[in-house]
Amino acid sequence: MKTRRPVAGALAVAGYIIMIVPILFVVATAFTAGETLRFPPQGLSLRWFEAALSYDPFIGALVSSLQLAVLATVIALLVGIPATLAIYRGKIPGKGLVEGLFLSPLIVPELVVGLALYQQLMIGLKLDNFETLLIGHTVLMLPYAVRVTGASLALADPALEEAARGLGASPLRAFFTVTLPMLRPGIFSAGLLSFVTSFNNVPLSLLLQSRDFRTLPVTMLDYVQQSYDPMVAAMATLILAGTVVIAIIAERTVGFARIFGGINR
Amino acid sequence: MRSRTPVLLLAPGLILLLAGFLIPSIAMLFSPPGVAPAEIFVRFGEMLTDPYDLRIIGRTVGIGLIVTLVCVVLGFPIAYLLARSTSRWSGVLLALAIFPLLLSNVVRTFGWLVVLGANGAIGQLLTGLGLVDRAPQLLYTELAIVLGLTQLFLPLAIISCYSAVAQVDPGLDDAARGLGASRTRTFWSIVIPLSSPGIVVAATLVFAGSVTAYTTPYLLGGSSQRMLSTQLFSYSSVTIDWASASATALIMTLLVFLISGLSSLVARKGAIA
Repeated sequence: MKTRRPVAGALAVAGYIIMIVPILFVVATAFTAGETLRFPPQGLSLRWFEAALSYDPFIGALVSSLQLAVLATVIALLVGIPATLAIYRGKIPGKGLVEGLFLSPLIVPELVVGLALYQQLMIGLKLDNFETLLIGHTVLMLPYAVRVTGASLALADPALEEAARGLGASPLRAFFTVTLPMLRPGIFSAGLLSFVTSFNNVPLSLLLQSRDFRTLPVTMLDYVQQSYDPMVAAMATLILAGTVVIAIIAERTVGFARIFGGINR
Repeated sequence: MRSRTPVLLLAPGLILLLAGFLIPSIAMLFSPPGVAPAEIFVRFGEMLTDPYDLRIIGRTVGIGLIVTLVCVVLGFPIAYLLARSTSRWSGVLLALAIFPLLLSNVVRTFGWLVVLGANGAIGQLLTGLGLVDRAPQLLYTELAIVLGLTQLFLPLAIISCYSAVAQVDPGLDDAARGLGASRTRTFWSIVIPLSSPGIVVAATLVFAGSVTAYTTPYLLGGSSQRMLSTQLFSYSSVTIDWASASATALIMTLLVFLISGLSSLVARKGAIA
């Protein structure tokens, strides 16, 4: 980039430093041979990766997080896609209100939703914590399912489905052979976005944790509070590596900036 | 679609939203177990007058405003340079700005512990150079929270500004420059006003995110720099004080609604003018 705009350039560099440098420090300390989170790292080793991968609470929590994220994503899509069709293609009364309701989990603070579900469902109705977590995560994913697949649906020409119907296809057949394939990029984006959001969630998972079922981010937060060794840095580096893989998959399929930034380039 | 089909398609989602979100939220805010609704409003009133609670509310709003300002001041130039650049690196830099949105908040915030901690990079650097005898206390300060939240929300600010700047025709810049305006004048009287809707969106998202974030104030602020979110967690999981928890949740929700309302008001005014 040309530096003919020195002020803008300097601010931009500062912004990138704040966004990226702390992440690099996590990676650097994960490879230390020393005992503490000291910088610069003392020696190079993989010992903390070994430690993290053989630390049962982390591995158990990783499995829990993956289970929860996959299930919540699948349910959110199964519930969200039909709703998207009804909102944007069906002639329903109060369309704006229904759409607003499906997007509303985005504007209420997650911590408030977490407290509500903890108090009303887990304590009040005595649901177990996995069920409550699944409900909470699914509700948080619904806006993505509706908004992202809705954007795909807006690009799909309804005349094509009508043509299929005119040629004698049943409504179900027309949907599965004509409309659904056109929605595929949207559904894929919504699924990826939901999975990542659920996996990374802290506020809900924190309030709805139990000894038997805790997610990885919550377990890591807890561990940081108790001990100050580089094992969390190693686990964080592994999560970073997984996230890079997801980003590359996103880039190769739908286009990274489009999924996560809603930017068309 | 036949007339009953949409209702059937909507039903599972509506039931889930009502039973798993709307009803529990309203019940929690206005009638938690064993608490009369009036008690919540009494607590709500106390929080707005009690010096201890006011300090937490003030810190939350103050940090929210500072982070919003910093994110717009740093994020807009990034969005502007990326949108106007013809370099092939701009795609990579844009991806680098969006990528952190995918990465766990815990991972991103943890980095600041390594940078700002007692044995962290900045402390070691300052003592190593002999500038100070003892590493300054950087962690568990408001500065640490501001840095952490800026890292967290800068990508959102960049994306919102980018979408707006990308829609401003670069021909307008050239026209203004051709008519004799300086680069600076062109920026302030053409680029900024035309992309202001994006700046409003950016500011709203960053402020709402900052006043409700939990991980960052928890890890970087600790118990000495409480914010509404860490206070809410302590009321609901440590002291189990439902009335205070609901009142805190109410304040947090109102703050978010207030900024959203304000921003749509500004957006509408902008559309008329």
